[in-house]
Amino acid sequence: MRHLPVTSRRLGVIAIGLAIAAGAVACGPKGGNDAKAGAGAKPQKGGTLYVLNNQAQEDFDPARLYTSGGGNIPSLVYRTLTTRNRADGAAGAKVVPDLATNTGEPSQDATVWTYHLKDGLKYQDGTPITTADIKYDIERSFAPELSGGAPYLRDWLVGAADYQGPYKDPKGLASIETPDAKTIVFHLNKPEGEFPLLATQTSFAPVPKAKDTGTKYAEHPVSSGPYVVVSNENNGEHIVLKRNPNWSAATDDQRKAYPDVIDVQSGIDQAVINQRLAAGVGKDADAVTTDTNLGPAELAKITGDKTLASRVGTGHFGYTDYIAFNPKVKPFDNIKVREAIAYAINRTTVVNAQGGSSLNEAATTFLPQQAAFGYTPYDPFPAGATGDPAKAKELLKEAGYPDGLTVSLSHDVTKGDEQGPEVATAIQEALKLAGITVKLDGQEHNAYSDKIHNVKTEPGFFLAGWGADWPSGGPFLGPIFDGRQIVTGGDNFNNAQLNDPSVNGEIDAINKITDLKAAAVRWGALDKKIGEQALTVPLYHPVYKRLYGKNVKNVVISDWTGVLDVSQAAVK
Amino acid sequence: MTGLPAFLLRRLLQAVVVLLVLAAVLYAVFYLAPGDAARLACGPKCSTAQVAQIRGQMGLDDPVYLQFWHFLQGIVGGHTYSTGTGSLHCPAPCLGQSYRTGELVTDLITQKLPATASLALGAMVLWLVIGVGTGLVSALRRGGITERLLTGFTLVGVATPVFITGILLLLVFCSWLQWLPYPSYVPFTDDPQQWAWNLLLPWLALALVEAAKYARLTRSSMLETLAEDHIRTFRAYGVGEAAVVRRHALRGALTPVIALSALDLGTMFGGALLTETLFGIPGLGQQLVQSVQLKDLPVVVGIVLVMGLAVVLANAVADVLYALADRRVVLA
Amino acid sequence: MTRPAEGGAGALAPAPPSGARQVWRRLRGRPAALAGGAVIVLLVLVALGAPLLAGIEGQDTTSYHADLVNSASGGVPRGTFGGISGSHWLGVEPGTGRDLFARLAYGARVSLGVAIAATVLQVLIGVAFGLAAGLGNRWVDGLLSRITDIFVVMPALILAIALLAVVPSGFPRPVLLTLVLGFIAWGGFAKIVRAQVLTQKSLDYVAASRLAGSSPWRTARRELLPALVAPVLTYAAVTLPTNIVSEAGLSFLGIGVTPPTPSWGQMLSSATTWYQADSAYVLLPAALLFVIVLAFTVFADGIRAALDPRAASRLRVGTRAGRRAGREAGAATGGGETA
Repeated sequence: MRHLPVTSRRLGVIAIGLAIAAGAVACGPKGGNDAKAGAGAKPQKGGTLYVLNNQAQEDFDPARLYTSGGGNIPSLVYRTLTTRNRADGAAGAKVVPDLATNTGEPSQDATVWTYHLKDGLKYQDGTPITTADIKYDIERSFAPELSGGAPYLRDWLVGAADYQGPYKDPKGLASIETPDAKTIVFHLNKPEGEFPLLATQTSFAPVPKAKDTGTKYAEHPVSSGPYVVVSNENNGEHIVLKRNPNWSAATDDQRKAYPDVIDVQSGIDQAVINQRLAAGVGKDADAVTTDTNLGPAELAKITGDKTLASRVGTGHFGYTDYIAFNPKVKPFDNIKVREAIAYAINRTTVVNAQGGSSLNEAATTFLPQQAAFGYTPYDPFPAGATGDPAKAKELLKEAGYPDGLTVSLSHDVTKGDEQGPEVATAIQEALKLAGITVKLDGQEHNAYSDKIHNVKTEPGFFLAGWGADWPSGGPFLGPIFDGRQIVTGGDNFNNAQLNDPSVNGEIDAINKITDLKAAAVRWGALDKKIGEQALTVPLYHPVYKRLYGKNVKNVVISDWTGVLDVSQAAVK
Repeated sequence: MTGLPAFLLRRLLQAVVVLLVLAAVLYAVFYLAPGDAARLACGPKCSTAQVAQIRGQMGLDDPVYLQFWHFLQGIVGGHTYSTGTGSLHCPAPCLGQSYRTGELVTDLITQKLPATASLALGAMVLWLVIGVGTGLVSALRRGGITERLLTGFTLVGVATPVFITGILLLLVFCSWLQWLPYPSYVPFTDDPQQWAWNLLLPWLALALVEAAKYARLTRSSMLETLAEDHIRTFRAYGVGEAAVVRRHALRGALTPVIALSALDLGTMFGGALLTETLFGIPGLGQQLVQSVQLKDLPVVVGIVLVMGLAVVLANAVADVLYALADRRVVLA
Repeated sequence: MTRPAEGGAGALAPAPPSGARQVWRRLRGRPAALAGGAVIVLLVLVALGAPLLAGIEGQDTTSYHADLVNSASGGVPRGTFGGISGSHWLGVEPGTGRDLFARLAYGARVSLGVAIAATVLQVLIGVAFGLAAGLGNRWVDGLLSRITDIFVVMPALILAIALLAVVPSGFPRPVLLTLVLGFIAWGGFAKIVRAQVLTQKSLDYVAASRLAGSSPWRTARRELLPALVAPVLTYAAVTLPTNIVSEAGLSFLGIGVTPPTPSWGQMLSSATTWYQADSAYVLLPAALLFVIVLAFTVFADGIRAALDPRAASRLRVGTRAGRRAGREAGAATGGGETA
């Protein structure tokens, strides 16, 4: 699961520092119109692109990075079996081949996936890339020393549940076969039609065993992409990349690699990043950011400035912020109480609390409003934009609370956080009108995260958010509603602890489908079916607004990442 | 052993005790805090078994006093950590490894120190110039409009918390006048001019607050010195007022000022928390707030120890300065 | 007011007489201090009468007014200077549209309440430690002084952050803030009291009282406590604004009172990002914090002068103890805690 760095400043930024990947959120035009406004000329090779970021690109090791679609900066250095399509908007939510010749050949039941490498693939030192090196990096990602990364492979690969990585167990994983240097075969526990989407993650990048230096690998990784790491200071605080002479555009139709040098400087305050991008003095005219949104106050200022507004890109990363219920806690075991809250919610004040309608879209569905996720519009509890307290009171009466009731809402105390006090107080105020007295139970960021993700301590009524690791209904609905994904000894995301055989069965059935479009339709239908149970109240989907420098051309922002794609940007 | 060496030795012992207690208190507080450091270090991919394994590796299964003891051992004798393919040696004084990133705490502190030092030293120069200047002028020109203005300035300075001064400076210089960029820390070694230009506002914010304190201290100290017997004697012998001030009074009057600057500098080296947070300066203070939020105990303890060390050393330096400048002070 | 000056004990004490009436007379001669005092009284009245004032305005601290903010441009208040109008005297908060006048009035309760209570706590702890150290034998003094040293050196803000993270969220925040500030920052009081006790101990009349066979406790009560009133009160008057600033600082870092309770520091903290788009929102809490701290500082100056005219005299003869105490007090109040 992924937390987003919202443009909350100061301590907020710090606490959300756990946002893992550079590819978390970004901005880009919906449809890609306004982004091109200031950059009519054709993009040329050359120059230096500066990336001004708040969060350091920590643990720059393909086994440790937790990215969506291979990440932004990481994908400049690490090529993977498949990757995301580098295109604006919805087209960018597609998966395409990268090192492999296609997005994978599934067996009949989608439990065995076979990939073949393209011809002429080389590392930065000119040596050929082999499938054994991809297998090796996947094995490395299981090593406890190289913590981080996405959890999927441990569940999916046969015999991987207790694997401890190649340092302790050099025999490796038998479920990954490399019959020859250009073929790799994965054996899965269960059908996974979305395996090609997982294969975009950096654990599917090649790492030559002879060059592996364990936890030190991140400082001098061996590049398979268009850039090599010149320097990586202070664990990703300042990374300088230059062109890789052994990368060939002939084998890579996704990365454009216009700039000669890419300089990624992190640890800059978010306000400073926005200020510098706005002013665009000197090198800052050639700069972008991949992790800093415009905050409400900055948006308020920029709205009045036409030239600045033309340099703001808008991006949509699939993410939903919602109210979560734990029906094991009274009175939320009563569906009428949950429905009453769903009716009483005033999404206008919630959206305003998070920065207004330009930065958030009110949500009534759990799935984000994108076709790739299987978005199917529905609203089981229609209460308009500002809520229906009268209807809520009625439901409360039916539930046996004619005089209203008092409940406790758990939230994060971090200012500006999506689960923060601003949203909580907006909900408190809206429910007051329906006769529900809300006591706020604010917790420090990490304590909050621990509390809501532990089935023993999970409160009955709290704020949560979910973003998918790839644009599909699977990683969106599975962890939240699949009964077999209830985790009792670790982080649990199935807040309702729903274990409904019909939901589980449908998830299994969809996972068998390798036609992603057909699968999306079924995910949408499943979302609607679950939504009627009022186990969550979707609140809003965040929208990301970001500035980029005056000289930046070829701004491409996909719906996969919502981020300005560094591999496409040019400064000449 | 008597005199200065004995005094210094006693001070050193006291400092060690103070720092030990400080570290122990922090260990105790964080031991009670909610949140699992092993899960934090392991990341979301980890199964319960792996978290348990990491916990064992990090020594978190040990009772808290044992963890504390290992920490102390590391300071004296260093420590060796496993990196997977090899091992990472952390030489003494080893303050441990960040739970979250695995970086050595000593490395982290070395990285963050330049920014904090830049902020502290620059601010000190400014506050000494502004504070001492104002204080002296108001002491020597007693009465009249100058003194009233200066008294007003110092009062306003004393009454304005640094986060208000900072916001007002930003508002005036970055937003209204647009004379200065929004500060963004540039290391001195990269570009000295940009370094100073970008630190100007943080320096000013800090210096204005501190300068007021110094102006008051300088003024009262100067007045006190001028009233002392030996100064009166000089006057009686017909030494000119300017010479009295320059040659005789200044030294006595500035002693407490210098001693207090040593103290304040020590505190600032520990990080001017609010200033660093407001201006986004990547120094020790900011790192500390982050690490407290993340429950990254080794980093917190490491930074607080360095901060405490700076304060304790500064205290000792201040005492020595006192002793040297004012022979009448008995070293106690 | 016809309250008699302190009774027999005060009259017997050979230290400079500081009866309430005399203090008042001296204070009256200092218009700045009186103005400061008036501002303090006014703001305390605002704090106490917050519900009444908000009632007159017809607003409360929590009601949202979505129609008063422009949602499409980040939620900036509609209208001039932060949306000031007849029904919202000081405008509204960006994003929520909550009434700022009501929030500022209620915010005074937290800001002043926490600071005053914390100061009282600091005085109690500090006086207890200082007395015990000053009167105890060498070992007691050594131990207590080292403990005091630790608390003076302790980075208060950090410890406060750590403690605020550990204590369960159910614990009322203003009380917690008071306790944290009170229990961490009493070192200055202890040092001053100890220094004062040591000075007094060497004075003839105290020595005489001890020689005459008074118990240490009796000596403390009869001879020392009255002599401590002036320095402790003076130092308390200096510390109180420091506590206001500390509470604001903690709230500024986002770990003070919890919403929807307003405090000035917390309002200032939410407002910092808005300094360009909605300056009024920043300037209001900043101005109030500035005014109250200034008022206390001026008032403290006046109190100092009124309680101890000798110290205020510009021709004061420096004494070793006085200088040291002054330096220690300076060290205890200044520095990183509020930087």
